[in-house]
This record gives sequence, structure tokens and C-alpha cells, in this order.
Amino acid sequence: MIRLEGVTKRYPSMERPAVDDVTFEVPAGEITALIGPSGSGKSTTLRMVNRLIEPDEGSIYVGVDEIHDIKAEDLRRRIGYAIQGVGLFPHWTVFQNIGCVPWLLHWDKPRIAARVRELLDLVGLDAAEYSAKYPSQLSGGEAQRVGVARALAADPPVLLMDEPFGAVDPLTRERLQSEFLAIQHKLRKTVLFVTHDLDEAIRVADRIALMRDGALMQHDCVERVIAYPANEFVREFVGTERALKRLSLAHVAEEMGPPGRAAATEGRVPDGATLRTALAVMLEHGERAASVIAEDGSVVGSVTIDDILAHFERPLS
Amino acid sequence: MKRLTLIDFTGPIIALVVYVGLTMADRPWVALATRIFPNEGRYIYQNASTTTLVWQQFAMVALSSSMAVLIGVSLGLFVTHRAGADFYDVVSSLSNLSQTFPPIAVFTLTVPILGFGFEPTVLALTLYGILPVLRNTIAGIESVSPTQIESARGMGMRPYQVLLRVELPLAASVILAGVRISVVVGVATATIGAVAGAGGLGAPIISGLINDDPPVTLHGAILATYMALLFDAFIGRFEKAFAFSSPGARA
Ligand SMILES: Nc1ncnc2c1ncn2[C@@H]1O[C@H](COP(=O)(O)OP(=O)(O)O)[C@@H](O)[C@H]1O
Ligand SMILES: [Mg+2]
Repeated sequence: MIRLEGVTKRYPSMERPAVDDVTFEVPAGEITALIGPSGSGKSTTLRMVNRLIEPDEGSIYVGVDEIHDIKAEDLRRRIGYAIQGVGLFPHWTVFQNIGCVPWLLHWDKPRIAARVRELLDLVGLDAAEYSAKYPSQLSGGEAQRVGVARALAADPPVLLMDEPFGAVDPLTRERLQSEFLAIQHKLRKTVLFVTHDLDEAIRVADRIALMRDGALMQHDCVERVIAYPANEFVREFVGTERALKRLSLAHVAEEMGPPGRAAATEGRVPDGATLRTALAVMLEHGERAASVIAEDGSVVGSVTIDDILAHFERPLS
Repeated sequence: MKRLTLIDFTGPIIALVVYVGLTMADRPWVALATRIFPNEGRYIYQNASTTTLVWQQFAMVALSSSMAVLIGVSLGLFVTHRAGADFYDVVSSLSNLSQTFPPIAVFTLTVPILGFGFEPTVLALTLYGILPVLRNTIAGIESVSPTQIESARGMGMRPYQVLLRVELPLAASVILAGVRISVVVGVATATIGAVAGAGGLGAPIISGLINDDPPVTLHGAILATYMALLFDAFIGRFEKAFAFSSPGARA
């Protein structure tokens, strides 16, 4: 768990605080996306959690500890940190880069070696092939994977990520996002994830904390931020495709009805797809319903345009 | 980091052996000089053996350069970190003087203050040698990407670990280039030290100039140039071992 209480940071060069009385909590095992326009104070907020920046006011808790009760370096060794541009050390091999925090924690050599192998496996890189490589021999996507492995090295319960997939092409980014989600399903870390990309936040996060000019505008689960923007700024930030974004958060399996209703239609959607995909399939076939199929190809249900409309009418809890 | 082995130094070591040979045997100089200047009388600087001259030259450069590196690197590290940030401006503009300050002027300025002899010369060379080391230390530390420093701190390295494990290795090739320039310029400047009575290979150079005796000047000049090239080659090998490029270069 990460909790910020009334956290404020002022820079002498700025008139308003860079971070202004921010309070929110990242529940254990969940991902919170810290989102907002450039300069809104996201990175400053994140860096206060591992004391790379000291707040002027407020308290921050990681687990049960107030972070200022712990020596800064010891705190940081307990928190995974991954940043845009990765910051791998070019004079160290992939092995040394990933083994950095365990080395700082004085693990013995066999334990570090076993851990590095395990982590390369986890992020989908072949340990035998990649261990001895230098960062200059990696592609952008591979470097990001090594960056994530390095952040996870000492198995910290808490992870701070600052636009970790910001520096790669859109296709690689999407793949890294889903790989990261798969890892998160296994490991259940408490993650504070900075991004300026709403679609990325929707894809990876459980909750959104939206900032503007240092102040927290809204903090809620992703669906609610999109369905019920707290103010005009959030509404604008979410954008005109708000409805489609809502659809992309709802899954076909949750909304479908009995198969019969789509008997006369051609459109097919997998049961794991989102309502957004279902709508796209209906539009493509010019139909008002589509069959839902399981992985083996059998028809398990149907979804109609009325289901989709009903989805919007149902209030979120 | 590339591990240096003895093999990397094969070339410089062979050159060094040849140099020692040339120093020990005065004879080849006479033979060479007789061929080039058949009508001259004195081919060898008579006041001291070549070995002594080379040794004096080496001692001046080694002493002044080690002190210059020690001071230049420490001062450079000091002003590029929080503790010394207040001194950054004055020190960095001072270090840029080295580009405009001619070596000959060093002794014109220092002899009246420091006096004649070996030690004052070493002191003058040290002061002059600090500048390129200082300038490159500042440039080297500033060339380390902030992302790498941030991730080093973010992972929980203590400040000394960030310095020793990340900043210094990454800045090393630039710092060593400064050391190389400082030492090579030091060898050249040290020959002028003969004017201040410090001995070394400058002695035959100046003696030859004064007595209109080119072979004697050449004797000193060749050995001094050769020494500078040797230092250049050895330090250059270390410099290359610290050349790194950043991730994604392949992508
Ligand atoms: N070290 C600093 N000194 C002065 N101002 C800073 C510093 N770091 C950030 N700022 C300012 O604080 C504000 C918030 O910055 P940041 O947290 O990096 O925003 P974000 O990550 O949301 O883009 C910006 O206006 C930025 O210019
Ligand atoms: Mg930022």
C-alpha cells in the first residue's frame, strides 16, 4: 500500500506549488495510474514516494512505515523503480543491471544468478542469450523489458513506474503493456504508474489519479473517472470518445444474453472481447446483434445493441 | 567494460623498449648525427648522460602529472556535485583558461614567483597540468545522462556508490582524454623547464639552440617527442577501454 496525505512540494523557481496538497492511496496489489498533462506534477509526486524529492508538507506511507522513518537508500531498495529512457548502465551487462539491487542488498552470488535467470524468463528474454549482453546491444523494447526486470529484482512489494513504456513505438508499447499486465496478474504488486496517455491508463490501471497544475482533480476507479468526470477539466481530458472508452472497459462475457437473439446474424465476437469490439463487429456487418463465441468456436451467447445501450444506463457502483 | 590485457599494450610496450634502448646507448645518436650533419663537431650533449636527462624529464612529468590529475579530478568532482556547486562557475571559467594560456608563458610568470630549479618547475607544471584534467572531469561528469544517475539513486545506491560505480566509469574516457592532453602538454612544457634550470631533455634542446648546434637540439627534441607519444599511446589504451554507448543504439 502507498498512501499520500496532504503532500505539497514547492520549487523556488515556481509561483504555484508543483504538487499541491495531494492525498490518495494505492491499495495493495493494485495499479494506480497517475495521469495528467505534461508539467502537472506527476513525476514530482512519484519521486517523493522514494525520496528522490523531499516533500515540503504532508506524509507518505509505504506499507505501514512513514517513509521518513527509513533511511532513503534503504527505502529505495525496497521499492522497484522503472523510468522512461530506462537508465540501464551502459558499462554493465544485462546480468549486472538486473542484479543491481540484490547486489546492493548483499545477496550471495548464486542467489543473484538464479534470480536474474528467473526475471529474464519472466519478461520473456532468453537468459542464456541476454545475460552477457550490454545495453547497447538491445533494441528499445528489450531495454524496457530489462528495465522492468531490474525494478522487480529484489521482489519489492511496491513498484514506481514513470512512463516506463514511453520511449518505444506504439506496437511495442502495446505488447509491453499486456506483458506487464500478465506479470502483474502473477505478482500482485502495489504499483504507482505515471503516464500522460489515457489509453495506457485504461489498459493497465485499476484506478486513476488525475492531476492538473499540481492538484489532484479526481481519484477513482477507471470506469468511474470515465463515466462520471468530477469536473469540466476531467471531462475534457477524457475527451469526446468517452463513450467508446467506457465500452472498452466492459467485457462481452459480462453483458451477453442467450445465443438465440443473434441467430440470423453473421457477426462473431470472442467472449474475451470488449463491448467496443462487439459494437465494431455489429457496425461492420450492419447488424444489431452479434454471436459470442468461445475459444473452441462454439456459440455461447449473443450481444445486442440494446445490451450496449443498457450498459450506459446502469449506474456504476 | 572491456577488460584490458597485456596484449592491448603490445604496441606501446615495444615502443617503450626501443625508447629505453635509445636512451641507454648514446652511440646511435652519434652515428645518426654524423650522417645527417657530416661537418659538425659535437653530436651529444656533454653535460649529462642521456639516461640522466630522460630520467629528469620523466620525473618532472610523472610528479607534476600525478599531482595535476589528483587535484584536477578532485576539484572537478567537487564542483559538479552538490557540496561544491557554489564554486562551479568560477572553477569552470578558470579551467577554460587552459585553451588560451600558452605553455611558454607559464615559466615567464612562475619563475619570478617560485624561483629556479627542479621543484619550482614541477610546481609550475602541476598548476598548468591541472587545467585540462579539470576541464575534462567537469565535461565527463556532465556527460553522464541524468536518467542513469536517477536510476542509480532510485535503486538505492549511496552517493559514493553512484560516484564510483556509475559516474566515474561513465566519465572515465573523457577524463582520461584530459589526462592524456595534460601529460602530453606536460612533456612539451617540461622541456622549457630547462630554462628554469630543471634539467631534463630541454637542456640539450636549449644548449643546441644557443650554440647553433642542431644535432644536440634534435637529440633532445626527438627523445622528448617520443616520450610524449609513449604517454599518449599508453593512456589512450585505457581511454578506449572506457568507451560505452547507450541502450537502443541497435534499434
Ligand atoms: N527540479 C525542479 N526545479 C524546478 N522546477 C521543477 C523541477 N522539477 C520539476 N519542476 C517543475 O514542476 C512542475 C511539475 O513537474 P513534473 O512533476 O516533472 O511534471 P510531469 O511529470 O507531470 O510532467 C513543472 O512545472 C516543472 O517545470
Ligand atoms: Mg514526468
